[in-house]
Amino acid sequence: MRELCDEAVSAALAAGASYADARVVLRRAQTVATRNGRVDRLDDIESDGVGVRALVDGAWGFACDRRLSKEGAEAAAAKACAFAKAATGGHRRALAPVEPGQGEYRTPVERDPFEISLADKVAHCLRAEEGMAHEDVKVTSAFVRAQREKRVFVSSEGAATDQELVECGGGIDAMASRDGITQIRSHPSAHGGSSSQAGWEYVESLAFEREAPRVAEQAAALLRADPCPSMVTTIVVDAEQMELQTHESVGHPTELDRVYGTEAAYAGTSFLKPGDLGSLRYGSEHMNVTADPTTPGGLGTFAFDDEGVPAQRVPVVAEGVLRGFLASRETAARIGSGSGGSMRADGWSRMPLVRMTNLHLEPGEGSLDELIAGVDEGLFLQTNKSWSIDDKRLNFQFGTQVAWEIKDGRLGRMLRDATYTGQTPVFWSSLDAVAGPDEWRVHGLTNCGKGQPGQHAHVSHGTSPARFRNVQVGFKS
Amino acid sequence: MSEALELAQRALRAAEGDEALALTNSERSGLARFAGSEVHQPTLIENDVVELQIVRDGRVGVAVANRTDDEGLRALAARAAEAADSAPADPDLPGLAAKAEPPAVEGYDEETAALSPEDQAHLAAAAIEASSLDLYGFFTSGLTEVAIASTTGLAVSQSMTDSCIFALAAEEGESGHAEQTSWRVGEVDPAEAARAAVAKAERTRDAIELEPGSYRAVLEPYAFAELVLYFAYDAFGALGLLEERSYAFGRVGEKVFDERLSLADDGLDPGGLPKAFDFEGSPKTRVQLIDNGILRDVVWDRATAKRTGRETTGHAPPSSLRRWGPLPFNLSVAGGEAESTEDLAELVGDGIYVSRLHYLSVVNPREGVITGMTRDGTFRVRGGRVAEPLVNLRFTVSMPELLAELPGLTRDTALVNDASYYDERYPSGVLAPAVATAKFDVTGTGSTPGI
Repeated sequence: MRELCDEAVSAALAAGASYADARVVLRRAQTVATRNGRVDRLDDIESDGVGVRALVDGAWGFACDRRLSKEGAEAAAAKACAFAKAATGGHRRALAPVEPGQGEYRTPVERDPFEISLADKVAHCLRAEEGMAHEDVKVTSAFVRAQREKRVFVSSEGAATDQELVECGGGIDAMASRDGITQIRSHPSAHGGSSSQAGWEYVESLAFEREAPRVAEQAAALLRADPCPSMVTTIVVDAEQMELQTHESVGHPTELDRVYGTEAAYAGTSFLKPGDLGSLRYGSEHMNVTADPTTPGGLGTFAFDDEGVPAQRVPVVAEGVLRGFLASRETAARIGSGSGGSMRADGWSRMPLVRMTNLHLEPGEGSLDELIAGVDEGLFLQTNKSWSIDDKRLNFQFGTQVAWEIKDGRLGRMLRDATYTGQTPVFWSSLDAVAGPDEWRVHGLTNCGKGQPGQHAHVSHGTSPARFRNVQVGFKS
Repeated sequence: MSEALELAQRALRAAEGDEALALTNSERSGLARFAGSEVHQPTLIENDVVELQIVRDGRVGVAVANRTDDEGLRALAARAAEAADSAPADPDLPGLAAKAEPPAVEGYDEETAALSPEDQAHLAAAAIEASSLDLYGFFTSGLTEVAIASTTGLAVSQSMTDSCIFALAAEEGESGHAEQTSWRVGEVDPAEAARAAVAKAERTRDAIELEPGSYRAVLEPYAFAELVLYFAYDAFGALGLLEERSYAFGRVGEKVFDERLSLADDGLDPGGLPKAFDFEGSPKTRVQLIDNGILRDVVWDRATAKRTGRETTGHAPPSSLRRWGPLPFNLSVAGGEAESTEDLAELVGDGIYVSRLHYLSVVNPREGVITGMTRDGTFRVRGGRVAEPLVNLRFTVSMPELLAELPGLTRDTALVNDASYYDERYPSGVLAPAVATAKFDVTGTGSTPGI
């Protein structure tokens, strides 16, 4: 694979590229899903190929080939250069200098998830489903996934890296229906469970069988719960929903390609400007956000990104002030700070983009119970149900699967169909507490979409429950 | 025999002695993505993907690969067989589709299939050069060949072309969008799309806020198509109906929408992006989902059809989307009588005008509640005319309420691209008119137009 990359890079340079890189990716993914006691999906997917990126007279070109052969590598390089030469524009692109990355990395695993048989994976899901049996639950579902990705990267500047990343994860859902109402509860997260760069031990730690009865009972209980009323109140947000809150309202707006407008046509831009670095107040002093591709178990964990830049932990928001952007070598050169380190591509057939790696809301202190104890009247919100945010990442609205009334510092009745909304910096400025390290969990999501053609990124967020004051729940009357 | 079908037949032969179905997807595409009037992310993709489904004693396993030599196909078959052996038997398995002749459809254009990377770059350049504002977006075209072969005698293939210009003209405080999609590149005019985007953008400067509330509204085809699509994925699939979790449950045969509304899923319409068969190899059929306001039916695949003693309508999804059940990939809303969006503004009188939406999310699938933001051209409508620009608005709408009173729909419909080009290419889009609605609920305000 290293030779193929070398040949692709050489071919691109011979075709006129001033810089080129090549990435061979061998991906294998297994998904087992069951639904209402039957296998819904049982597949084993392999996708291999080489992607070549070339900079010709300041213009990028990217092409790929599924053939892992000299012929395929050279064909991709030639096409990447030809596409770059045809590209319209002034093209004054530069790359921030960086010491070429060289080395290897392997995800540490205790039990290789591909050594767990598919039959055992099916049985694992079916056992979880049995635990969700309930007269009001119409649909139970469970799934587990595993992925191994071998990534070999070579650049014309001398970077040469070899990494093998292993992921697995899963989730369970119970959907209850009665009298025209439908409600859902999920564990450990909605919309695809949670994953980690780890072995099968991670799936076992999710404890599907233990959690299944609670998930079903809460789904059924939601059918009888009152709708959450609209109000301005204090909310305590659980760690799982804080994952998505951090992802959408901190992760995406701090992607420097969005700040410069290059995602405007699809994912959107950002309310942040390059000049905001170091001065913009993003939130309260309790807000500390860090990008860390070295986090054990993170889906965004690697030794080198897809430009060969070594992994580095960097502050993004410190005590409420914007301290960093997520960057590529190109955007780092443009802003004149750093060397990138956040470039990631989905497989071998897509061009790397600025992506989140592992973006964490750093823990504060105390427990979830202490957060709740500090609320006279408010809500405790758990597990995402719906999410939407505007193209500059300002106005957001999230729905959660369940809300619990808080009165005099104690949890009360269950409420359904809760949503909350806000403007990003206003909302984060209302943060008055983040729970401590004992409550901090790393959640991994696999459905972060961006780019044209579209790319999925797998990213993780470490979060603790957090408390926000004066938040609009439901709709302003 | 097409190369895609030949590959499917080879994969089938590798599945020695088993009941099997092989599905291939071959993609040759280019996407010239631009930002700030520069092509910055041009991507060429060539890939051949084979999915092999093996059935053994009622047990099903699927393997997918893009290695297409004999050794690669043998390995694929071995993995599919292992997967099948790992599954418990499913007594309700509908089995593989029988041999059937797919309908003759259009959707392939030689000129589009022949576009070179240089042609694709030049078509992107045509949009950029026609724009007086910074332009963001892409030109893409592709040739996708899908084939299915099975031990039950299926041997079907389809070559599809698609092309799309997406233009977002934007600078600080102003932005406008236009796009054109067709399976014939000759029907796509990048310069015209860019000029339309600029014209829209120039009207969005100095946008003001709007109080949340319920408004009458004009929705351009881009906005209406996206709302219909999000609603339809939950409301008009048979699995949601059978599982008693969709809006359609208990309402089939009832008049629940404005009588001016008729919605079909029609893969045979040459005005859309035609499809001859679904991912099980079943022939596509036209399904009338809403007929003059009456909810008539949903779409079905073989598994859901068997549960109710019906026939499939040809709407099986790819295996990766099976949890959704059958899906409508060719939605088509019938046009009405209005000649233009100006006519719709007259019908609205006092309200808002929405060009395009962003980041939709289903808040309550059972009740068809959807939230999202407007973007790139939101305006006040006053006295029956489009008036001052508005900032981007958050909306949270009940689709049944939005569709309950539609004072007007334009006669003409537009093909709105629905493909974001994740994973394997599969052209899809929604044919939709612009509409006037009596109820569009604004629940907040967001960012200003522009970069």
